[in-house]
Amino acid sequence: MVGLLLASAIGTSALAADKRPPLPTYTQAYTPTTVDERGIWMEADERERVQRDSRSLIKDPALNAYVRGVLCRTVSEDRCRSVRLYIDEVPAFNAYMTPNGAMVVWTGLLLRVRSEAELGAILGHEFGHFELRHSLKDFKSHRTGTDVMAWASILIRNSANIQYSVVGQMYAFSRDQEREADMTGFQYLARSQYPSSAAADVWEHVMGEADATAIGRRGRAQHKYVAGVFATHPTDLARATYLRAASIEAHDVKPAVVDMHQAAMAKWLPVFLNDQIKLNDFGGSEYLLANLADGTGWTTPLLCARGDLYRERGNPRDLVSAAQFYQEAIGKGDAPPEAYRGLGLALLRSQQVAEGQAALATYLRLKPAATDAALIATLIS
Amino acid sequence: MIILCRATLVALMLAVTAIAPAYAQEKTGLKPGFVLAPGTARIVLMRPSIRVGAQSTGGMYEPNADWTDQAKENIATALAKAQTGLGNSVVGYVEPVGAGSAKVAEYQELFGAVASSVIEYQFFKGNRLPTKKRKDQFEWGLGPDVRTLPGLETADYALFITTEDHFGSTGRKVLQVFAAMARVGVTAGVHKGFAGLVDLRTGELVWLNADMQMGGDVRDAEGADKRVRQLLEGFPGKPVEAPIAAAPAIASAH
Repeated sequence: MVGLLLASAIGTSALAADKRPPLPTYTQAYTPTTVDERGIWMEADERERVQRDSRSLIKDPALNAYVRGVLCRTVSEDRCRSVRLYIDEVPAFNAYMTPNGAMVVWTGLLLRVRSEAELGAILGHEFGHFELRHSLKDFKSHRTGTDVMAWASILIRNSANIQYSVVGQMYAFSRDQEREADMTGFQYLARSQYPSSAAADVWEHVMGEADATAIGRRGRAQHKYVAGVFATHPTDLARATYLRAASIEAHDVKPAVVDMHQAAMAKWLPVFLNDQIKLNDFGGSEYLLANLADGTGWTTPLLCARGDLYRERGNPRDLVSAAQFYQEAIGKGDAPPEAYRGLGLALLRSQQVAEGQAALATYLRLKPAATDAALIATLIS
Repeated sequence: MIILCRATLVALMLAVTAIAPAYAQEKTGLKPGFVLAPGTARIVLMRPSIRVGAQSTGGMYEPNADWTDQAKENIATALAKAQTGLGNSVVGYVEPVGAGSAKVAEYQELFGAVASSVIEYQFFKGNRLPTKKRKDQFEWGLGPDVRTLPGLETADYALFITTEDHFGSTGRKVLQVFAAMARVGVTAGVHKGFAGLVDLRTGELVWLNADMQMGGDVRDAEGADKRVRQLLEGFPGKPVEAPIAAAPAIASAH
């Protein structure tokens, strides 16, 4: 009895002390009632059928269980239960949640985050969009905006400025929603077992990659704090800044958890890296690889991917580097046969014919049924 | 979260200001020499794609779940009624569950893509592809593998039906009146649909009927009857072609 009283006393004092903004109210098996919301749910249901049947979906139960686990540990077990999760093999940094509660995670996101906490930060943001019914509000905002524009175009002689400002308002509305979802996602993260500083970390790495991509393409790396008129999201810099400020304010000191991200990704890392290398984004990919190596060291898949990256750029100096990366990977003892193919091709193009052919022969010996076996064989004879 | 891109907005702005071009378009294509004798074929009706909603003042599509449900029911009833006039048995497709469903979804998408290509590059004369210019030519298909879809082993033909209705809202119609006074053309409502028949042995599209301005309010039974009659206009192998009243250019919207 005393224990019960004590527990309830602690409960109330904890509640009184909790000055954090409340989480959105949670309703189990929420069903929409208004015409607009039911309409967009119906459309979302149809699109989900397509998503469910998509060929690019990754159905691996282990990977799905891992991502779902992170979502549940971030937003709490009861809230996450009804979410349908779809992992889509798209090598870009994105995830989204549909109005009817399906979460789509692109593999580019899984490749970029370095820990469960960073993944949880993004999933929490998307889940925030869902719980706050942002799709519906955005739909209404667009409808009002386009209505005003339609009337302005007919009733007002020179309505271009009005239309421009209405479009601007629609994007500003979208940015407000993103900010709101960022802060809701942050609240989930802060209440979870994960450190809330991970939310800002994600955006700092996104900026770093954007810089590297720009420099690699001979562009100018720059980050602004204020978003442009047609920006759907606040700038990465703004997001990193306010999320960092929030995490300093929250000052959550949590016991370190065993992070399963690297282990869960191990099987898929070579596949996702291969997708990334094909984007022809040398600077960005190089940053990404270095960022991953920062956490795990230069592992075999990272070395092989780096070899592919340099080999595909193909300057004479790149081919020398590529060969070194492949050799390093092979030296580690767990390289896939493809490392020998990469090494062979890089050496052949560096005029080291005998060594190159030897590596290609090793590739064919290790993987005689390779789809490109016949083609590679022509390079040996 | 990527929701809307700028192109969509530009398109919306254009939809408001641009005058809808009057299409001089054909509506029906039939593979030359194709005949379907009554009582010889088993036709499977694939899951129809039916979308019904309203069109906002600014031209946005506002999906409506109730109207779509009504339309699905009405069109199914109307199809069952019309079936007796088609001369061959039409059975609904039983969707497979599991691995097969992905393949079916792909073919649904493929049919949609092929049908859109026919409409754009063959029916619309001004935009014909060089390979589609000869007279009496109709050469389109989904590929012979369509017969490997689960559940279609004993069928001869697959019938695909798609309809999409955006009923002009009151706001849209008021805008239309004011726009007319300002000599700006604004359309109210989108009512389009197409139906196609695919030979399951060869994968060829043997018949396609498309109409970008269909009649019949699919939300009630009579309207759905009319819509189905229009969708199946020119269906090969009909014993008697039922006379069809000339459809108004744009379906009256409520």
